[in-house]
Amino acid sequence: MKLKIGHLYPELLNLYGDRGNILSLQKRMQWRGIEAEVAEYTLSDKIDFSALDIVFVGGGSDREQLLVCKRLGEIKSEISDYVGDNGVVVAICGGYQLLGHYYKIKDELIEGLSIIDAFTEGGNGRLIGNVVAQTDFLDRPVVGFENHGGRTHIGDHKPLGSVLFGSGNNGADGGEGILHKNVIGTYLHGPLFPKNPHLCDYVIQKALERRGFDTDLAPLDDKIELAANAYIVSRFAPSPNNCECSA
Amino acid sequence: MRKIIAVWITKILIVLGKLGGKKGSSTPGVFALKICPQILEILSKQVRSGIIVVCGTNGKTTTNNLLFSMLRDQGKRVVCNNVGSNMLEGVVTAFVSAAGIFGRLDADYACIEVDEISTVKVFAHLVPDYMVITNLFRDQLDRYGEIDITIDYLSRAVTMAGDVTLVLNGDDPLVAAFGIKSGKKCVFYGVGEDVGIALHETKEGRFCSFCGSELTYQFYHYSQLGDYDCAKCGFARPPADFEAKNIDLTGGIAFDAAGRRISVNYRGFYNIYNILAPISVLSLLGLPFDNIDKTLAEYKPQIGRMEPFRIAGKSVIFNLSKNPAGFNQAISTIAGDTAEKDIIVVINDNAQDGRDISWIWDVDFERLSDVKAHSFTASGIRHNDVMVRFKYAGLENTSDNGNVKEAIEHALKTGNKVLYVLVNYTALFSTQDILKHLEGKG
Repeated sequence: MKLKIGHLYPELLNLYGDRGNILSLQKRMQWRGIEAEVAEYTLSDKIDFSALDIVFVGGGSDREQLLVCKRLGEIKSEISDYVGDNGVVVAICGGYQLLGHYYKIKDELIEGLSIIDAFTEGGNGRLIGNVVAQTDFLDRPVVGFENHGGRTHIGDHKPLGSVLFGSGNNGADGGEGILHKNVIGTYLHGPLFPKNPHLCDYVIQKALERRGFDTDLAPLDDKIELAANAYIVSRFAPSPNNCECSA
Repeated sequence: MRKIIAVWITKILIVLGKLGGKKGSSTPGVFALKICPQILEILSKQVRSGIIVVCGTNGKTTTNNLLFSMLRDQGKRVVCNNVGSNMLEGVVTAFVSAAGIFGRLDADYACIEVDEISTVKVFAHLVPDYMVITNLFRDQLDRYGEIDITIDYLSRAVTMAGDVTLVLNGDDPLVAAFGIKSGKKCVFYGVGEDVGIALHETKEGRFCSFCGSELTYQFYHYSQLGDYDCAKCGFARPPADFEAKNIDLTGGIAFDAAGRRISVNYRGFYNIYNILAPISVLSLLGLPFDNIDKTLAEYKPQIGRMEPFRIAGKSVIFNLSKNPAGFNQAISTIAGDTAEKDIIVVINDNAQDGRDISWIWDVDFERLSDVKAHSFTASGIRHNDVMVRFKYAGLENTSDNGNVKEAIEHALKTGNKVLYVLVNYTALFSTQDILKHLEGKG
């Protein structure tokens, strides 16, 4: 078994330790004997989406995001075909904002890919802090750190999770991120997968299923990862519902 | 009159603070500004020969303290906020404590370290003649958003600073571009040769600040520092007015600059910049270099800058590593030490550390797998996250203990002859206290 991860434009979009997510995907595949190939693409590279199993797009500063946006506009139809074919996409922060129709900062309108029916607009101040979110498809919360000026509105889409602590998409509707087909968008940057091995495995599982491998992933010893997850949950969202997570 | 009352009350508060054992307090300055909002303006205008402000993500304290020592050793009277508080209130505290009880300041120079985000506030009261910018790295991201925001603050501050001359690290493309865009007079310093220390790490400013193209590098030092140019618009590392050459990093640091050989026994490539910047300022001020060798030899690196301790026959080396650039520099130094060793990493996430510790994933922990380390211990408030980072870096013999004192004692009991303790900001003083206490006992 082999999966190919396409890391889009890491030279531009590499804020806040996105490297940890790629490392996590790679290691968790290797530990199960699944070969993991990582291809890093630069703006001038031609990307063959049909060869990819997981596409990763990270966050960047506004300046860098604008550069990426121009390039993504040129390959828009290839990306939407990939998503239509149940391709797995993990898009974080700036990458997440680019999936929608547009991202408006001050007077500038950055056109997005319109892969999801969402839009992002600036708001008063940045939304910064730890986040705990509960999904309806994983057995324990997803934790992370958000830092974004944009407020994302996802319309009728399903959020990745509901916010137990933190701001999430827009600080208003209680949703965090988006889950659309096999596309995950989220504001939780940096080491999302290292601290959420269950979410990382979900992504690997979906990529395997798409290639016709239906077997469940072999369990790993996640004591260390889950301790980091449980610490954030117990510190910021210690509700009775989450008690079992601190085990 | 308000000025005199402000000076008195502030001085009393400083003394009270010292009695209470506080280090680097800004509280007295808060009161001084309340009583007399013009206090800093009034005092700073009395500085006779020049005010120098030092900014930049890493190295500003060492740079500023070295500059202070060099000026002081030439017999100058100098105001300096060298107890570590670098926001507006701390700057006020420094000026008031240097003033006489009638609000008169007897000073030739002031050298003031200012946090980048505080520059706008500080420059509203004080106009610098020279402003040093050491580098611009990722640091405390959640407090400031992004590095662009830091640059934005610095631009606004520099606009307020009239005829200021910028003294800039030309090896940093973000700093160099900042200076050129500011339209102010710029003087550059830099390290003009490849010393072969580059690591695998995230580089913040590799794209041209003018046209957005990727910069081409002749060589890197660390992070985005090096010899760069932009093929598209012609932006390039500016010629250095003060350049370090013939660098030797074996056993300490030695290099040629400003027409002489400089040699010190402390480690760390970055210290070349920390020495080069004050030398540049000295030269711009038209001051001689007579006793800088003595000053450099007597200079004690500040608390937690590869600070050595001797505990129960073992050597403990204590270092503040609060962002990826600083941390990777510490790893480079550790890699250069061939002794068998143990390593403790302490990461807190208090407000002053930055609540977001995602940056530990930008640190090249992978490199620690071949530095002859016998054990790795994760400690501090976020020891759980450090353990995850250790695991994915492929490090072996890892363990965690959130209690820093226990972690150190355990490593001393079971470990090798050398113990490295790397901490981020809010663990600095408390860990130093632990080490001093243990050293005293031994």
